[in-house]
Amino acid sequence: MARKKRLSKSMRRRLQRGFAVLSLLLLLVAIVVVAVLDRRVTAQFEGRRWTLPARVYAQPIELYAGQQLSSRRFTEELERLGYLAVANPDRPGTYRRRGDRVSVFVRDFRFADERQDARALRLGFSGDAITSLEDAQGREVAVMRLDPLLIGSIFPIHGEDRIVVAPDQVPPLLPAALKAVEDRKFDSHHGVNPLAILRALFVNVRAGQIEQGGSTLTQQLVKSYFLDSRRTLRRKAEEAVMAVILESRFEKADIMNAYINEIYLGQDGRRAVHGFGLASQFYFGKPLTELALPEIALMVAIVRGPSYYDPRRQPERALERRNLVLRVLAEQGVVSAADADQAAKKPLGVAAPGRKGGSFYPAFLDLVRRQLREDYEESALTEAGLTVFSTLDPLLQEKAETALAGELDRLDASGRKEAKGLEGVVVVTTPQTGEIVGLVGGRRAAFDGFNRALDAKRPIGSLAKPLVYLAALETGRYTPATILADEPVDLKLPNGDRWKPANFDKQVRGPVPMVRALTQSLNLATVNLGLEVGLDHVARTFEQLGLDEAPPEFASMLLGATNLSPLEVAQMYNTLANGGFRSSLRAVRAVIDEAGKPLKAPELEVAEVASPEAIYTLDRMLIEVMERGTGRAAKRQLPSDLVVAGKTGTSNDYRDSWFSGFSGSHLVVAWVGHDDNSPTGLTGTTGGLAVWSRLMGSIATSSFEPLLPESLEHRWIDYFSGLETSPYCNGSAVSLPFDVGTLLEPAADCPPGAAESPATTGFP
Amino acid sequence: MPVIRILALALLLALSGCSVAPFKTGTTTGATPTGSKPREPGAGPVLTAPTEIGRPDGEPVIETPPPAQLPRERPRVPPATLSPASRSLVTQAQAQRKKGDLPGATVSLERALRIEPKNPLLWLEMGRLRMDQRNYPQAENMARKALSMSVGDDSTQSAAWRLIADSLRARDRNPEAEEALERARALEPS
Repeated sequence: MARKKRLSKSMRRRLQRGFAVLSLLLLLVAIVVVAVLDRRVTAQFEGRRWTLPARVYAQPIELYAGQQLSSRRFTEELERLGYLAVANPDRPGTYRRRGDRVSVFVRDFRFADERQDARALRLGFSGDAITSLEDAQGREVAVMRLDPLLIGSIFPIHGEDRIVVAPDQVPPLLPAALKAVEDRKFDSHHGVNPLAILRALFVNVRAGQIEQGGSTLTQQLVKSYFLDSRRTLRRKAEEAVMAVILESRFEKADIMNAYINEIYLGQDGRRAVHGFGLASQFYFGKPLTELALPEIALMVAIVRGPSYYDPRRQPERALERRNLVLRVLAEQGVVSAADADQAAKKPLGVAAPGRKGGSFYPAFLDLVRRQLREDYEESALTEAGLTVFSTLDPLLQEKAETALAGELDRLDASGRKEAKGLEGVVVVTTPQTGEIVGLVGGRRAAFDGFNRALDAKRPIGSLAKPLVYLAALETGRYTPATILADEPVDLKLPNGDRWKPANFDKQVRGPVPMVRALTQSLNLATVNLGLEVGLDHVARTFEQLGLDEAPPEFASMLLGATNLSPLEVAQMYNTLANGGFRSSLRAVRAVIDEAGKPLKAPELEVAEVASPEAIYTLDRMLIEVMERGTGRAAKRQLPSDLVVAGKTGTSNDYRDSWFSGFSGSHLVVAWVGHDDNSPTGLTGTTGGLAVWSRLMGSIATSSFEPLLPESLEHRWIDYFSGLETSPYCNGSAVSLPFDVGTLLEPAADCPPGAAESPATTGFP
Repeated sequence: MPVIRILALALLLALSGCSVAPFKTGTTTGATPTGSKPREPGAGPVLTAPTEIGRPDGEPVIETPPPAQLPRERPRVPPATLSPASRSLVTQAQAQRKKGDLPGATVSLERALRIEPKNPLLWLEMGRLRMDQRNYPQAENMARKALSMSVGDDSTQSAAWRLIADSLRARDRNPEAEEALERARALEPS
């Protein structure tokens, strides 16, 4: 017994010692764990740098007297930017329209050059233009920008996207509502709320009541910020410890602000929408500061389950929960019962999906990203919080999307099997400044996939012809009246094959003046011309106009066997539309860093790459294409006095239907074809041109009016013979440029100067 | 009667001959031809650009008088002017340049260019900004763009040639700079 007692006593002592050691060890481990977590939490939270994807903005609308913008279109643009129509526009983001007078309180915005302060403006309109622009005191304002549309972010694949907001950009209602709904003891607890945890564990949630989760806002923040989403007991413990650490080290206000910027609030394709700043843009298309009670309540409702309460996919569920949130806010005294009732009657007010969310312009954003990659590392774009000012014109982009989709739908309905399910591309530039203002990569423009505008390289067909003629004109040996041989071609190729191209209609026309050969897109005359000028010279012209490298010198290049992307075609034709000056097409105007410092961006550059005389002459002939040639079908859809120039293109077996053409202020390249390269049954006229003229006819644009170089003069020649003639007795007289003093053979039956009464037909 | 005027012009041309000038001092109406109207007759003799290569068969090559002997009574277009909006932006850009804020000046000038892309004065301003940025080749190119947009506008053309002269001198291409300056002076009212 005594022995037993002794034994147990020593055992107890040993046990006690063991316990002590063990507890000491445990304590040590705990201290180490806490210290490690503390370091991690503190370091990361103090640095508090979210990886910020570059934000990409469209070009801003410039307001000035004389700007071609009707009051109706202006208010449409304001709506697109999330401006609110009110009786008294006394705060940023609001406006009022009364007929042709619009008052608007423009938001402040940091542009690449300066911060433009918020400002009340009054605009007068007349017809399609702004006639006056003044501030609230009635002082004239020369020019001012609207804040631009946010069109997207450059975020890593499956990455987080967010717009970080400072505490002063947060409406006070938001933190109050978050506390009332998610964490009522937020102001007093130390990171965890044991009572809430117990309640969450043991109290069954009654129907209709807000499920009180056990997590405090701090815990939610920690979970989102530091931990993955696995729900293990260890994670839960870690989360609790880190929450307590966070609370002991930082102010409540800091934690709340971090929460507001961190929390996950929705999914936009492969982009995760984090933080209320971006969520506000994503769901409502306006800045957080401008949200009212129903909108804030909806966002607070979404916090609990962004996918379950997705207001776009589950509007009824989202509405029910929003109104529940409103009731809680009233119960908790955050808002008055009357306000809550009022707000509960409002619709969700969510902007159309994607429209304002930032993934609506995937083809264009892809181009922006590729252009920026010339100067920036991928990580700088996805993490460094850059602001990118792009060249996109949202209104034009919308018109381009509509024109393409509309025409492809029409072809679907045409009943022709080959024309079903076609795809298309539209590229729009402003020739003088070389900016890409619209880029549509397919009939479903919002679909993020294969970027046809940049990556679909297709034979350009007759779009190559103007380059052949330019090469010829640049030798100085040709004029629009020079007679070309539209005669059969039979070439032996280096590999022994024979190449026997034919005209589109299989006819041979014999001698034709240059202007007719180009206008009617005659293959044989063009091949004969190209061979005379030299393939090397023609290939160089491709490069000269803006192609990165000259295409291989095969005779078939004269008829457009060269594979090019729509963007490459736009680059070359932009030079034709810009008087022979080449500008590298830009999608980006400027880039600034987080502090507003300007960074590297593609610059506006010009280079004169073709003689003004040759370009002017070619451009005049391209106008004739639209007047009397393969492009004349466009006339029906365009204002009668609008002068445009362009060229159709069709590849072999009707696989590709192109049109590239320009007015005085826009170049539009349109391509229509099948992704699998099967025949479409369309010529350049029935596919590309139809899209092109739909678009050109739907936008505000100006006539193409190139300035006549001093060494040239206009003369009248007969379109069919090339002989000099008079417009007053010859219905097929056409006015074209020649070197001053060029001797032209007169037409015998109607020589120049024949003074008869003007012909009533034929000539425009 | 336009036809008669054309005939007169043709006759005038035949008489005065086709000239080859070192650069274009010839005449146009300055107005943009629309292709639908016969050209107004120029008041003076008309010149053509140099062509090294012969013309199509049968065309005679005609001797030219030196440019100095040309009468200068050519119809010109009035000097280009800026719209109020772009004037305000140019003023802003000049202030930014003065402060050394060249990126800011770039933004302002590009804004103006979007408002008036065909105003040669704006391309000249852009060229001057490129001088500040020491991008001399682009300064010259901007001036050449201004030249192409100011056919018939002596004062703008003269300013463009001066800018070209500056950009050439900055690259130590002094003889060419002197030549450009000559052209600028020739366009100024004496």
